[in-house]
Amino acid sequence: MIQFEQVSKVYARGSVAVEDFTLVVPSHRTVVLVGSSGSGKTTLMRMVNRMVDPTSGRVLIDDVDVREGDPVKLRRRIGYVLQQGGLLPHRTVVDNIATVPVLNGTSRRQAHHDALGLLERVGLSSEVAKRYPAQLSGGQQQRVGVARALASDPNILLMDEPFGAVDPIVRRDLQDELLRLQADLGKTILFVTHDIDEAFRLGDEVVVLRERGQIAQQGTPEQILAHPADDFVRHFIGADRSERSLTTTRVDGRLVVVDGQGRPVGVMRDGA
Amino acid sequence: MNWLRLNWTQVVDLTVDHLLLSVPAIVISVLVAVPIGRLAHRRPRWGSPLLGAASLMYAIPALPLLIIIPAVFGTPLRSSATMVIALSIYGVALLVRTAADAFASVDTHTRDAAVAIGCSPRSLLWRVDLPMALPVLLSGIRVVTVSTIGLVTIGALIGVSSLGNLLTDGFQRGIAGEVLTGVVVTVLLALVLDGLLLLAGRLLTPWRVSA
Repeated sequence: MIQFEQVSKVYARGSVAVEDFTLVVPSHRTVVLVGSSGSGKTTLMRMVNRMVDPTSGRVLIDDVDVREGDPVKLRRRIGYVLQQGGLLPHRTVVDNIATVPVLNGTSRRQAHHDALGLLERVGLSSEVAKRYPAQLSGGQQQRVGVARALASDPNILLMDEPFGAVDPIVRRDLQDELLRLQADLGKTILFVTHDIDEAFRLGDEVVVLRERGQIAQQGTPEQILAHPADDFVRHFIGADRSERSLTTTRVDGRLVVVDGQGRPVGVMRDGA
Repeated sequence: MNWLRLNWTQVVDLTVDHLLLSVPAIVISVLVAVPIGRLAHRRPRWGSPLLGAASLMYAIPALPLLIIIPAVFGTPLRSSATMVIALSIYGVALLVRTAADAFASVDTHTRDAAVAIGCSPRSLLWRVDLPMALPVLLSGIRVVTVSTIGLVTIGALIGVSSLGNLLTDGFQRGIAGEVLTGVVVTVLLALVLDGLLLLAGRLLTPWRVSA
């Protein structure tokens, strides 16, 4: 469980990145922070592994303040996936995945062996093991990034717009893969994105942020879609977009779902 | 050609002397310049003036430098130690700025990612900064190497033996073949060492060749 207790971050020149933010990320759940740039979402995430220290307030992991103890040790027990993989370009795929276990003292041989298993787990063939990141596609790099984050078997995964730099089809594959993995592993995931569709797809709970980490609305995707708290949320989630306001129409005994512009988008299953 | 055929053993000996002066100087230059370059990159407030001062040492003329060094370091005037120190000073002066640039060339996104997954400052230096700075660093080391091989010849002026002996001796006695041999062998030596560094660079940075 991750807890943010009234955290604020003010930078030296007086610019406020986050103001009085409080949130609980329950264990084994995926919570998505969604907001545009300047919402402080990345700053908030980086407070968990102490890449940023809050000016005031506390961040707790399982009731222990993250500022107790060594930041390097803290980071090694938190999986971190970031945009464009953040892989080391001069290390092979297996070396990248094995980075944290090797730093933690696992033998190289064992770490490499485990890395091959992780490659399979994220849907990559062991053929890519000896390649360098630049020889992989964007989607493959991102998968390696996820495998690396899982390598030390952390309880917590931090994911900072991990699928932002790949094309929509690959992004969808990666999201499916993450959902599948999460169903297996049940990690505590804090996910940051500016893409509301991604947030709704992946989040057990979604937190819509305004500027400076102000929570506009927090709830399950269903709750937010059903009852946007205000015009900001309504606008942000595109509640008025034609693909969000669906109606049904009966065609030859079946219910066809139509979007706001009258285009058919699907069929209701029988019995639904 | 005739001169070389009769004196090739002397040329071999002088080539060995030449390498014994230049290789240690190149190694010392790297060992001194890289930490200064890193300091200049990480802590510009302290590092930048140091970098400027180190670069400026290249402006010291060779002959005065060869006289100052024994006074400062207590080495004998006509010794290879004096020569190695002088060459190292020039080498450091040539290399410091490239070393700072090499650390600046390390991608900040990659560096940030390495910290975020739990690299300690020490493992960051050895596993990320140095390997990723290597391509730029090597280009600087190649310049220092070629420059040092050329500079060693001035040692002949203070009687420290190297291929430079062929130049001074050849000029004094008017033997064109000897001078020509000195020039050609010095240039060849520089080319060979440069080629070896190029090869070492390829072997040490396999991710760049295959990318």
